[in-house]
Amino acid sequence: MAAYDLEEQEQIEELKTWWKQHGNRVTAILCVVVLSLSGWQVWTWWQRTQNVQAAQVFSQLQQAAGQGDAKRSRELAGTLIEKFSGTRYAEMGAMISAKVLVDGSDTKNARAQFEWVSNNAYDKAFRDLARLRLASVLMDEGQFDEALVTLSQEPQAEFKPRFLELTGDIQASRGNMEGAKLAYEQATTLVSKSEASVDTESKRRAANYRDVILAKTDGLAASSVPTGGVETK
Amino acid sequence: MFDTVRNNRRIVQGFLALITLPFAMWGVESYISNDSSGAEIAVVGDTKIKEHEFQQSLREQGERMQQQLRENFDPKMLDTPEARRTVLASMVNQRLLTLAAKDAHLAVSDEALAQFIAQVPVLQDNGKFSPERYEALVSARGMSKEGFEARLRQDMAMQQLVQPVGEAVVVAKQSAARWASVQLEQRTVAEYRVAPEAFIKQVKIDADAAQKFYEANQSKFQLPEQVKVEYVVLDQEALAQQVSVSEADIEARYKAHPERYTQAETRRASHILLVVAKDASDADIAKVETKAKEILSQVKANPKTFVELAKKHSQDPGSAQKGGDLEWFGKGMMVKPFEDAVFSLKQDQISEVVRSDFGLHIIRVTGIKAERVVPLGEVRSDIAAEVKREASTRKFAEAVDAFNNTVYEQPDTLQPAAAQWKLVTQKSDWLRKGDRLPAPFDNPKLQAAIFAADATSKKQNTEAVELAPGKMAAARVIEHKAATVQAFDLVKAVVLQQMTQEKANELAIAEGEAKLAALLKGDSDEVKWGASRKILRAAPQGLPRDAATAIFTANSAALPVFVGAKAEGGGYTLYKLTDVIAAEKNDPRLAMLSQQYARLIAEEDFGSWMSGLRNRYPVKIREDQVVKKPTE
Repeated sequence: MAAYDLEEQEQIEELKTWWKQHGNRVTAILCVVVLSLSGWQVWTWWQRTQNVQAAQVFSQLQQAAGQGDAKRSRELAGTLIEKFSGTRYAEMGAMISAKVLVDGSDTKNARAQFEWVSNNAYDKAFRDLARLRLASVLMDEGQFDEALVTLSQEPQAEFKPRFLELTGDIQASRGNMEGAKLAYEQATTLVSKSEASVDTESKRRAANYRDVILAKTDGLAASSVPTGGVETK
Repeated sequence: MFDTVRNNRRIVQGFLALITLPFAMWGVESYISNDSSGAEIAVVGDTKIKEHEFQQSLREQGERMQQQLRENFDPKMLDTPEARRTVLASMVNQRLLTLAAKDAHLAVSDEALAQFIAQVPVLQDNGKFSPERYEALVSARGMSKEGFEARLRQDMAMQQLVQPVGEAVVVAKQSAARWASVQLEQRTVAEYRVAPEAFIKQVKIDADAAQKFYEANQSKFQLPEQVKVEYVVLDQEALAQQVSVSEADIEARYKAHPERYTQAETRRASHILLVVAKDASDADIAKVETKAKEILSQVKANPKTFVELAKKHSQDPGSAQKGGDLEWFGKGMMVKPFEDAVFSLKQDQISEVVRSDFGLHIIRVTGIKAERVVPLGEVRSDIAAEVKREASTRKFAEAVDAFNNTVYEQPDTLQPAAAQWKLVTQKSDWLRKGDRLPAPFDNPKLQAAIFAADATSKKQNTEAVELAPGKMAAARVIEHKAATVQAFDLVKAVVLQQMTQEKANELAIAEGEAKLAALLKGDSDEVKWGASRKILRAAPQGLPRDAATAIFTANSAALPVFVGAKAEGGGYTLYKLTDVIAAEKNDPRLAMLSQQYARLIAEEDFGSWMSGLRNRYPVKIREDQVVKKPTE
């Protein structure tokens, strides 16, 4: 003790009383910090492991899809959804496998995949894309009402024209030419707005897509006329 | 609106390039560096694209274009704001994808990476992955293996993300058919053109108006700039003439490569084949063998019957009809047991029964050409040409830099370059800027160089321009006429003619529009319509765009319908639409167009998704930096 002079001893005393008063609280805070840091570490480690494993399944799925193997890609997408639904691979895998299933005419399973994505995808755009694709499948099966219900939920703004175009197609297929025309026109208006974009790439894309919808609009008028019209005056 | 179809090839190609090409292989900057130096040209999310990264991309784009366009490439192509924006836009897109892949925690395993690298064609040697090639490629890009692989990993992660959006597109058959059948719709129209020529007589232009028009549009009446130049062309062929090849060179080459001047032994043989499956049972083999021995004994008894027996018994479809003849062949061209047998027999000798993977053979050697060393005399001229070609290639390669320097260092004359390489200095006629110029001035780079300020005003040599591989040229302006404004009196006739033409065109258009209005009101149809023809919407041949749009968007509920549009060669054309013919239900083109529709939708979906990414990671581009010219 002789090493400290009076003033220093006083400071040490002060520290000791401070520790008595706040020591527990400091230890507790330290514990929490250490625990949550290591918890975070474990969490990111676990997440990374999950993603790496899921990536392996996904790459097998890509291969199966490349070979058009509908059964295997469906199974692999199933694995991703069951075991790795916390990763983005689940929704990515489901979308790819659904495409292979549609190509292989297994629309029942394709619909299930699309439905899962439209309800569970992390990326909102994937939900919209899944709905568009689901509605397309439903439409080809003649289930126009279900298809329209699928499209009734408001999508992200950038997908709105596509939703309207498909709505128009469905209306036209069930014979409601007025409804189809309205939907196409709304879509055209929206696309024309984004045509004013500064970005040349978006501009070009918007112009192309507007032409697609305009062609369909023109098609409505034509299909209401029987071919070989008679000249009348 | 028909451009969708016309341009589709290009769109789809561009789109595919974006989603299927490994970007790292193209060397496009996509790696997010933490480099804090230098100014940024764009901000994407919370990352920056640096000015120097942009310059790097521009350079790489330039290299790619140069490879594709060769001598037609002009660095100025990349100097336009448009081209610079395009390059930056593609960098931004890649950055967006990189960020999205990163935030989605996409992973690429070591195995997947290794597998990918192993199957890249440029990294293969004889169909197998070559580590040497890999290392060469990576170091050629000035990267470390780790850096390269990190970048590749990023690209692969991007592609994972892109596939479900851009490649897995599903479109309804009905949607596709709806669009496709519209494309194949045909409309029958008759046309009537109101030509401006008919109005020329009515037009009176007074001299004052002409004078005013001339003053307002003086640049239109200029005589363009002209130059006369002298030039030299350095080409490899010309250099070859200057190379002399000595007898000693030829002999040395001949002796250095004996293997090239030796013809290996070849033989000609006939055979009778009895097929035996590779995995045939012993019993089966024995059965065929008995038959083979029977034939063999017949052949041996009377070798002359070989041809007939081959025709009758051989099961080799390629040779049986030719009496078993297999023509000439060398070693290494036939299966081993067969070859061994052939090369151990003497001329006209007949083999025992020989077994190969194909079955059992009875072979007769019908010709032998022994190994032969080709005498120097037969190949002398070939060798001389080869040595000459190699020497001139070398000479040209050495000359390129020196030629560049010579024309640059003494900019006021081409004489030293001409003397050094014994070139003829040629003189051109007057060359007018903007005309189609004769060779070698049809080369855009050389053309630009002879009209550049240094060339025309200071009469300096142009730089040496590569016209084609192995061919360079440099030119120097010897006479120059600046662009001159022509006096009004000289061009008065032209001015009057132009104005008359314009006025007549206006009158024709007005007349056409009036006629159309009358037709639409139902006033009597006194138009002399031409012959009717059918027009396909997807390919409205011979119709200006406006006319095609008018015809195909016209409401066809009550026919006939009248529309009109300005004609391409001036004036106005009226169209009478009399019939709409829907696509045939089983038109084979429908399937193709449906696929095209799916691609258009894939592009639209992908683009929409990308614009969603733009909302998530805001993009700010410093437009002033993009447009400005690089400071040299």
